[in-house]
Amino acid sequence: MNDLTPYLVISTTLFCLGIFAVLTRRNAISILMGIELILNACNLNFAAFSRFVTPPDDISGQIISIFGIVLAAAEAAVFLAIILAIYREFSTISPDETDTLKG
Amino acid sequence: MELKPLVFYVFALLTIGSAVIVVTVRNIVHAAFSLMVTLFSIAGLYVFLQADFLAATQVIVYVGGILVLILFGVMMTSGRLDMKLKMERGQLFWGGLVTILIFALLLGVIRRTPWNVQEELGTVEGTTAQIGKAILQSEFLLPFEVASVILLIALIGAVLISRKEVREDE
Amino acid sequence: MDTLNNVQSIRYFIPELILVAFAAGVIIYDLIGRQEGGRRAAHLSLAGLAAALIAVLLVGAADRSLFLGMVQLDSFAVFFKVIILITTAVTILFSMGSEELDPRTKGEYYALLLAVTLGMFLMASSTHLLMIYLSIETVSLASYILAGFLTHSPRSSEAAFKYIIYGAVASGTMLFGISLIFGLTGTGDVVQVSNVLAELFSSGGGDYQLAVLVSIIFVLAGVGYKIASVPFHMWSPDVYEGAPIPITAFLSVASKSAGFALFIRLFYSGFGSANVIESVDWSLLLAVVAALTMTVGNLAALPQQNVKRLLAYSSIAHGGYVLMGGVLLTAEGVHAILFYLIIYLFMNLGAFFVVILIAERIGSETIDGYRGLVTRAPLVAISMGIFLFSLTGIPPLSGFIGKWLLFKAVLTEEFYWLAIVGLLNSVVSLYYYVRIVKAMFLDSSDEPNPVSFSIGSRALLVVFVVPTIILGLYWTPVYQLSKASLGKILG
Repeated sequence: MNDLTPYLVISTTLFCLGIFAVLTRRNAISILMGIELILNACNLNFAAFSRFVTPPDDISGQIISIFGIVLAAAEAAVFLAIILAIYREFSTISPDETDTLKG
Repeated sequence: MELKPLVFYVFALLTIGSAVIVVTVRNIVHAAFSLMVTLFSIAGLYVFLQADFLAATQVIVYVGGILVLILFGVMMTSGRLDMKLKMERGQLFWGGLVTILIFALLLGVIRRTPWNVQEELGTVEGTTAQIGKAILQSEFLLPFEVASVILLIALIGAVLISRKEVREDE
Repeated sequence: MDTLNNVQSIRYFIPELILVAFAAGVIIYDLIGRQEGGRRAAHLSLAGLAAALIAVLLVGAADRSLFLGMVQLDSFAVFFKVIILITTAVTILFSMGSEELDPRTKGEYYALLLAVTLGMFLMASSTHLLMIYLSIETVSLASYILAGFLTHSPRSSEAAFKYIIYGAVASGTMLFGISLIFGLTGTGDVVQVSNVLAELFSSGGGDYQLAVLVSIIFVLAGVGYKIASVPFHMWSPDVYEGAPIPITAFLSVASKSAGFALFIRLFYSGFGSANVIESVDWSLLLAVVAALTMTVGNLAALPQQNVKRLLAYSSIAHGGYVLMGGVLLTAEGVHAILFYLIIYLFMNLGAFFVVILIAERIGSETIDGYRGLVTRAPLVAISMGIFLFSLTGIPPLSGFIGKWLLFKAVLTEEFYWLAIVGLLNSVVSLYYYVRIVKAMFLDSSDEPNPVSFSIGSRALLVVFVVPTIILGLYWTPVYQLSKASLGKILG
């Protein structure tokens, strides 16, 4: 725990699980959860690098993480608003079934 | 055995274990609650990284905000809470394959790269004041202001898009 | 280059402040005076854009790094800011006449457009990894909302849905790449990143190669998503077809230009330090991406019946052509990119304007709706023909000169296969553009009645036609302008 590698392994695992969720899940909210996992992986990376790579008095990595959290919140709000709009139009939130645009 | 590393590994295992549940479990509400465990454990990891403010923000914004939002989304779109998640075999295979490839690649990056780790890891006595100074008096002022514009956009946009129904009734 | 602190920077940041002030002003104004159907809001936004344009030109290219290294104000940024402002203004003009947009929500619509413009300004000038991410997110979030803006259209909601799924994943991937770069270099400042990377390579050698390659590819995911390059293009046809047409036009020109601005700045001054290029052969990588992008775009455009969707694929292909200029990291290539973007602005916006006019007056987005257009609306048909031939790159139209410069840049660096792929693609693209031209000029319509368009629309159409022709014959001023705009970006 006083070593960078465990943190990087955790964040990489989270990132890959998020990608896995995005690739395999057929429900928009599950996809959103996958995206949240990806963003958390990024934030964990920044925090870990801030602790181990940059000098102790430089906390810019942590600050970038905070911005990451803020943006994740904004994105989640818009995402859910769009999900609600989609649900009203199609009564489903699976990207496969909302497919009128094709060609 | 020392307590601190033990706690760390408990948090690490909780993070990964609950995240695995998030992406594999078939019940979406269970997935959401599992995500809560993940987010809490990540906050714990932040504490180990001596990022106290970040840990608090993680709990307040992620667990208190985003997760509640997600649960609302589940409730408003499924009608019933036990909505099952379909997964097709082919998709599972290709998705899994791509994921494993990316995972192997990233593990390779972690192993091979000689990260420039600091020799002395100083202990930080609370980061809140430092963060406040960096945001308001230093280089992060502009990002802070831009983030406020982004939040405004998200606010207006979310209201606009989800208010459609009301307008149709007029 | 001087780095200014937060207080000193404000006077160089006036254009952006004007945009924010007007965006807020439009929302507040719209709350007070809803009845006018958003027309006033549009005028107010246009005024804001004009003020911002004047401010951009007055402030000029100060060659300074603002806000302690967060953004940079140079001639390169000014060039893209002007392109973005023009495109936004044109989009507002398109939107004012558009009937598909609900007039009651137009105030917010224009405010969001101004906010996107701000985000694109930042994309063109960011020199810090955090700012780059924030600017991309500003543009993306507002674009998702604008794409899903149509109240009664399921297509529009679907467009927003697909846009945000792909966009969120792409930007998340990009952020992960950025975090790796931050970890490698311990800094977010693009110039310092470049210096540290160069040091790492000279000391550590091959150990860093994999990490740098992976993080650059991850960052490319975010940038590639903005310029709709393969394999991050999948969202683009659906979004372009489902979004309101003015927004489609806006995304295909402004969003792409801003994406290229970011790409050039990041890759030339960020990862561009000599050692990094030598250790990772990503000229080849970019060349393959460029070739695939134009081929996929053109082949997918071939069978399209919906003109909006056809133009969406065509704009993917054009992204590929433009990327050819960025492959080699030469000044000549970037110059060709800037020059092409100016020309692309006029011809592509012109083509989309015709699609808007036809959709509103004839009510069709398919090629069938264009039959016999030359007898029904000669000016519109001829203009469309000019835009399409220019998009193909047929002399003496301006599209030819633009493409010629891009090909020349590729040939000077002896990337012959890429030039051949580009050439073949232009031939393929001729086929589908000509299908529209054939429908307009050779086929006869079931409804022979002439269609009339307002004077304003016709004048606006001419505004696009004239540069499309003139720049093909006399391009020296624009050539010089784009050359001057390179500034110190490559230095």
